[in-house]
Amino acid sequence: MNSKIYTIAYYTFKEVLKSKVLYGVLFIGLAIMLSVFVASEFTYGAPFRVAIDVGLGLLSLSSLGISLFLGVNLLSKEIESRTIYMIISRPVTRIQFILGKLLGLIGVLIVNTLILSTMIVLVTVLLGNQIEGLFFWSILFNFLESLLLLLVVTAFSLVTNTVLSSVFSFVLLIAGHFIADTQNIMFVTSRPLLSEVLKFYHYVLPGFYKLNIKDYVLYKQTLPTDFLIMNTVYGLSYSAFLLFLIIYIFNRKNLD
Amino acid sequence: MVKLEQVEKIFKSDLLAQPFVALDKVSFNIPDGSLVGFLGANGAGKTTSLKIIMDFIRPDSGQVTFSPSLGNSRIEIFKKIGFLPERPYFYPNLNGEEFLNMLGTLSETPKAVLRPRIKHWSQVFSIEHALKRPLKTYSKGMLQRIGFLAAILHDPEFIILDEPLSGLDPVGRKGLKDVISEVHKKGKTIFFSSHVVPDIEEICDRVIFLEKGKLIYDGSVQTLIHSSPNTEIAIKVKGNREVVENILKGENLVKSWDDMGSDYQYIKVSAESKQKTLSLLVNHSIDIVSLDVEKPTLEEIFYKIKNK
Ligand SMILES: Nc1ncnc2c1ncn2[C@@H]1O[C@H](COP(=O)(O)OP(=O)(O)O)[C@@H](O)[C@H]1O
Ligand SMILES: [Mg+2]
Repeated sequence: MNSKIYTIAYYTFKEVLKSKVLYGVLFIGLAIMLSVFVASEFTYGAPFRVAIDVGLGLLSLSSLGISLFLGVNLLSKEIESRTIYMIISRPVTRIQFILGKLLGLIGVLIVNTLILSTMIVLVTVLLGNQIEGLFFWSILFNFLESLLLLLVVTAFSLVTNTVLSSVFSFVLLIAGHFIADTQNIMFVTSRPLLSEVLKFYHYVLPGFYKLNIKDYVLYKQTLPTDFLIMNTVYGLSYSAFLLFLIIYIFNRKNLD
Repeated sequence: MVKLEQVEKIFKSDLLAQPFVALDKVSFNIPDGSLVGFLGANGAGKTTSLKIIMDFIRPDSGQVTFSPSLGNSRIEIFKKIGFLPERPYFYPNLNGEEFLNMLGTLSETPKAVLRPRIKHWSQVFSIEHALKRPLKTYSKGMLQRIGFLAAILHDPEFIILDEPLSGLDPVGRKGLKDVISEVHKKGKTIFFSSHVVPDIEEICDRVIFLEKGKLIYDGSVQTLIHSSPNTEIAIKVKGNREVVENILKGENLVKSWDDMGSDYQYIKVSAESKQKTLSLLVNHSIDIVSLDVEKPTLEEIFYKIKNK
């Protein structure tokens, strides 16, 4: 059972690595280094902030980019181009297929995260700064955020076309970041219905903002550990829920 | 190996369009050890039937059952099936060897068995030199061949091929047909679809003929094709028209005559008159240049069945 998932994951990972995606990641890594060194020349006293700001920003951009653009094709392209027939005509269950595909892409996300966060650490240390614990939480959160986005876009790609899947997922990503701020503004609090709608959204749709702690890292603030753990659990359980949904839909799908 | 009973598939592409009956209560049976051709024009429903057999899509009604010799669970059964999809597409960045290793491993063939098999078959299909190259650099014919290789790599009992010969040049077609026959002789059951009559005729003993989602013929290839009144024999001979005409006259053998200049004649006779014509020509020392069986087309066979 597990060896089949591993085989599919391994070759999915390999297929992505052999495409040009890895060059993109390395390019972004270089961009981080360069821009930080250039910027540190101009921002007297705050090169650390620049390194973290630019670094985490680019890391987040590339992880989310990989999730969105590779995720939207992960299953739909398999179905559309019939490569899936090659695999599920073997003694492989659909669950194994989907878990293998997802794990392969998660492997790519991990490699991306490792390369870019190593870059950031390197640059920061070279600039004579210390890396604090919260930085690593933010790397983990960034990974969880891209994992969540990957599962969102995969779920969409099973029920609609690739363009709509990307658009919907992107909208959810943006909304999931802004939803936190909307609840307290006057415009909303004075309108009970809207407030209820937003509350509903809050409870049901993915709250990506829960996985964004970049500002805290940036301003060297601290966050309580149970807050960090709670949000990790949130990210993981929402992902698990989406995974079950994806498996449920995929098991019943006509693959034509 | 597999039995279809009253399989029906209806596509409802969108809300306004009429539901489309792709398969209309189709029943047939592929016996163990047979080599069966699945004949039908484009859109007849061949691929849809194969997808239902492979459980990619589900029928609206009817049943597909595999013979108990294959196993009881889906996993056991699919271990013994080799499938080649229509116009197969591949992961462009994997190389040939990686692709074959992936599929072989998924079919639970040990690495130690896989390696010599890949070597053997890639030589047979002359893609050995390309195994280290990414699949995106393969030609269409090479992809078709490596796809076929992947379908037989795990030594399956039951091989299902969707249009395996399309996209191949004449040499490639011949080569693949030879391999199909060879694999069949080793006791494997093979079921393959095609819209080309001669491909099926050459290697199959049985044919299942589908037209617009309906099964219209299931039986021996000989009966379907060779007894067709449309089968004609084209004989090309060297000689003057008058001389040849003189030899054959009086017997009413010739159906049509093509005068190809003064030296060559192109005579068409029915299958039944073949022996008689040839013996007359041979007896009169006429040089026979070539002899061709003109096969009926799919349409001709279809009309023949319909008018019965
Ligand atoms: N997913 C689908 N939705 C709607 N119509 C389909 C679908 N798949 C196949 N068809 C239709 O079913 C018919 C049979 O197709 P197919 O089985 O591919 O034929 P063949 O393989 O014999 O050429 C065709 O008319 C095709 O357009
Ligand atoms: Mg077809």
